[in-house]
Amino acid sequence: MSLLLLFFDELKGYAKSKVMIVLWFGLPLLSFLVQFISPQTLEGMPISSLVALIVSSIGGTLSAIMLSTSIVSEKNRHVYELFLIRPVRRSSLILAKYLAVYLCLVIAVSISLTVGLVIDAITGDLIENYLEITFESLIIGLSSMSITCSIGIFFGVLVSSVPLAAILSVYLGSQLSSIIILPTFFIEILNPGILALSLGVVITIVIMSINVIVFSKKQF
Amino acid sequence: MNKNICIEFKNVSKSYKDLLALDDISFQIPKGEIFGYIGPNGAGKTTSIKILVGLIQKYNGNVFIHGNNITLEKKNYHRLIGYHPQEAGFQEWRTIDHCFKTFGRLSGLTSKEIEHRTQEILDLINLSEVRYKKIVHLSGGMFQKLRLGQALLNEPQILVLDEPLSGLDPNMRFQFKKIIKKLGKSGITILFSSHILNDVQNIADKIGILNKGKILTIGSPEELQNSFHIGNILEIIVAKNTPLCENLEDLTNVDYVENIKSIKQLIHLKSDADIDLSITSIFELLIQQKCKIRTFNLVKPSLEEVYLKYVGGETE
Repeated sequence: MSLLLLFFDELKGYAKSKVMIVLWFGLPLLSFLVQFISPQTLEGMPISSLVALIVSSIGGTLSAIMLSTSIVSEKNRHVYELFLIRPVRRSSLILAKYLAVYLCLVIAVSISLTVGLVIDAITGDLIENYLEITFESLIIGLSSMSITCSIGIFFGVLVSSVPLAAILSVYLGSQLSSIIILPTFFIEILNPGILALSLGVVITIVIMSINVIVFSKKQF
Repeated sequence: MNKNICIEFKNVSKSYKDLLALDDISFQIPKGEIFGYIGPNGAGKTTSIKILVGLIQKYNGNVFIHGNNITLEKKNYHRLIGYHPQEAGFQEWRTIDHCFKTFGRLSGLTSKEIEHRTQEILDLINLSEVRYKKIVHLSGGMFQKLRLGQALLNEPQILVLDEPLSGLDPNMRFQFKKIIKKLGKSGITILFSSHILNDVQNIADKIGILNKGKILTIGSPEELQNSFHIGNILEIIVAKNTPLCENLEDLTNVDYVENIKSIKQLIHLKSDADIDLSITSIFELLIQQKCKIRTFNLVKPSLEEVYLKYVGGETE
């Protein structure tokens, strides 16, 4: 009950934040500008794929920074005390944040991909198996973002300094999230989409479990 | 178990690594009482309060609310307590209204109850005009009121206020004290902590003095004053330009007079003095010297002196 309530609450907060405006409108716009200003640099790449790539890489990092810094700041300002004196599980606070930001990211990717596909269709840039490629990029991007967000929460829960949480989230978050596609470089028979999805789910569950345990032991 | 006891700490201890924050404290607060919990910074007030509201769950000893151990009755006692934290902030993107809705729902109130309580509380704390204002735009005083407001949302039977007056200007302090008194009169049991004695002096029915994790004493303000002996001191205020100051030496010849502080016109009597006899003798002498006496008072220790003596400070 409290998880659902907190999830919608956090969603409302994040949806109004400037970072989400950048994610939902700024990044797709940036991708289109790159395509239209300098189309030769991205020759052969459909705009939908470019948008998916940009949103998932920059969007994931931005979200991780937002999650880590907001958790550190809220911890330091004792925001959680007012929740925890009520019948609220500590895990719900963390999970609600993760789910809200992740949903915002999914919305950002959906907006970008839909617009990208429409533009590709209008400009005639749709390549033969574009749906398959786009879907695979989408799965990899979403899996990668899931890991990045959970790492953002991890540093948010663990450290007490906002700048440190942001730096660790940027460097380690984006580095660790690339783990999901590494095995495909060495074992060609592996399907990148399925592998990314499986690793993404498993790694996210493991990191989020650690986050919940660490957060539950924090003294407020 | 006495049914009239609302809160009971029984042999509660809490350590943070090597630091003993609470050292085997025990006290009881009867229903409907305003309990002033005072002590210097770091005395253990916030630690004991956080144990009471459930934010600290690992400690030794037992805490009871209405006779029930709080570790066994977690779910039920949440609704009984309203907590005003010392430092807690709010997510700044929220409005006051949104804040109350979230906390109300988390406390298990229905939408109708939340609406009713929100209006009632905002009227009480004078924040109705800024109900839809974002928290980030509130002043320090309003922010403090909001902390109090959220604590009242679930109509608590117990109100725990951790340093509610810190950082407030005199006008806001006056308003806050008025609200707390009003809440106390409505029958709510209030535990009210502060490191400033003046904050609790005119509000509390009982005062508990805490220092270095130990409860040093508990009593009504009057009991504390009476229990604390600082010697027999007579305070004489005379009309300006009277010869009292010039002839003070003569007073030292009166039986039992130990010394006289001319600046404050304070006459210290010996601890075994016969008060009635001494006062009569002093009066006779002063009248002989044609002193124009305005007031004549047997001084009791002030609460501040009592407090400072207990926590190791120095009085004048």
